[in-house]
Amino acid sequence: MVVEGSLSAQRTAQEEDPVATLAEGLSIWVGKLSDLVKRVVDTGPIRNVINWARMYSLWPVNITTACCSAEFGAASGARHDLERFGVLPIGSLRQSDLIVIEGTITKKMAKRLRMIYDQMALPRYVIAMGDCAMSGGLFHDSYSIVNGAHEFVPVDVYVPGCPPRPEALEQAIIMLQEKIRRSKVYEQG
Amino acid sequence: MSAPPKPVPLTTVESTETSDSGAQTLTLSVGPQHSGSGHMRLIVEVDGDIIVNVAPDPGYVHRGIEKIIELRNIIKSIPVIERPSIIDSSNLNHAWVRSIEEIQGVEVPRRGQYLRTLLNEMNRIMSHLYWLSIYGVFLGHTTMFMWPLGDRELFIDMAEKLTGARITYSYLVPGGVRRDLPPGFAEEAVKRTEYFEKRLKEYDRIFFNNPLFTSRAKGIGVLSKEKAIELGCTGPTLRGSGVDADLRKDEPYAAYPELDFEVSTRPDGDSFSRAMVHMDEMRESCKIIRQIVKKIPAGPIRRKAPIVLPRGVAYGRVESARGECSFYLIGEGGDKPYRARYITGSYRNMAAIPAVLLGNRLADMPTAWWSIDYWPVEADR
Ligand code: SF4
Repeated sequence: MVVEGSLSAQRTAQEEDPVATLAEGLSIWVGKLSDLVKRVVDTGPIRNVINWARMYSLWPVNITTACCSAEFGAASGARHDLERFGVLPIGSLRQSDLIVIEGTITKKMAKRLRMIYDQMALPRYVIAMGDCAMSGGLFHDSYSIVNGAHEFVPVDVYVPGCPPRPEALEQAIIMLQEKIRRSKVYEQG
Repeated sequence: MSAPPKPVPLTTVESTETSDSGAQTLTLSVGPQHSGSGHMRLIVEVDGDIIVNVAPDPGYVHRGIEKIIELRNIIKSIPVIERPSIIDSSNLNHAWVRSIEEIQGVEVPRRGQYLRTLLNEMNRIMSHLYWLSIYGVFLGHTTMFMWPLGDRELFIDMAEKLTGARITYSYLVPGGVRRDLPPGFAEEAVKRTEYFEKRLKEYDRIFFNNPLFTSRAKGIGVLSKEKAIELGCTGPTLRGSGVDADLRKDEPYAAYPELDFEVSTRPDGDSFSRAMVHMDEMRESCKIIRQIVKKIPAGPIRRKAPIVLPRGVAYGRVESARGECSFYLIGEGGDKPYRARYITGSYRNMAAIPAVLLGNRLADMPTAWWSIDYWPVEADR
């Protein structure tokens, strides 16, 4: 199914690369300095430090799409307390790193979700929570929904369940952190 | 209320229109990405910081449930029916099975009726606690976010023991319920509800008697008795405006006629009254739960009901956490309904959103708006 107005699900390249812009002027006499910097950042302990910072400050943006938000609420609440993983829901798009798509995505909401995704700063991650966000789930034959979040945004982790238990969401966060820890600094987002 | 403004493009701020008084007004689009609005959008027109016009823009969670019901048989529809208000799932489920039983002419055994009522009341508490925790977020009161969600787990654990699921139970089926009480449930229920009632006193101390809340809620978002009736409000919103209307008393169903409880009403119709109605209802629900586990009769929990909807028309309604939830069901002899009309409490209370917001300050919007307990998923269905 095609969402009207949505862009393709391709990840946008890292246009805003501070190191690259800095190295541009220098590249006249050092050749490919930016490549050198990238290599240094990605191999040395710098990469570990950057990834460590990214792993433990996953701030999800405040966007709820459907009923899975009840379990997201329970997960951020007292018993499960997502904040101990560094997950602190925040209203500002520019400061957030993560979208947790909480359930069914209607056609009306899909456009807004893509808009929100495009406004977020790199690197950004997406967790698709619930069967609905994976494949349409219970409402797969409905006339008004999009069957799966991957149709309009790239998804990092899927959480099955209808709704997934808070423990499952915690596991998804840990998996995402593991993914960040293993990935290269310039290839995230 | 004047005519709703034209929908503005998403997340755009315009300062073009001129209101009747000649002053410049500003149109704001609040939501759907907004910490205080969830899965819906409010188009708010402000003059200075006074709200002069509000148009709700629902439909972000419209999943076509009425159509889906026509495609599934009446048992497979149960999970779909629960989804609109997942935190209050068994009450919605109850409206569905009641309308089916009315067409089928099936009598539910008394023990089954009691078990239904038990889960309904537990759900009411859970739903109100969820509402309260979000209220805490809206007012920037983190303790009030954490406490209710923590105490909600008390009841979630009980419901999980009873039904096997945390929040989506599918526990009520035509003819009765799926499972009997697990051993030791009665003592557990008494212990937990008594503990919870003590906690409610602490809620009063830290939140409801707190100037932080009272000064922002008393006299804010007033919905008069006449207006509430005129708009067709229901549930705590209606009772918060001083109307004594509760289907559990007015049209008793399940085990309610045999239970002793009171309907809470507050005369003022402001955000504070509506919040207090929620608190009173949680106390009453605790009482009802204790009565049920004491009085529950022995016997079968389920009577055999066919997976066939005979030709006929039925209207089943219950008092859910957010007000009256009803089904108008037409059967044509197959295992699927010909048509099902599904009305929920939030859907009916949507009309109250402009009424409570108009004339208030923009900063009071979260308090007034969320006191209606409007759950967009339930309203859009
Ligand atoms: S996966 Fe289930 S709980 Fe989650 S949004 Fe879909 S229907 Fe609702």
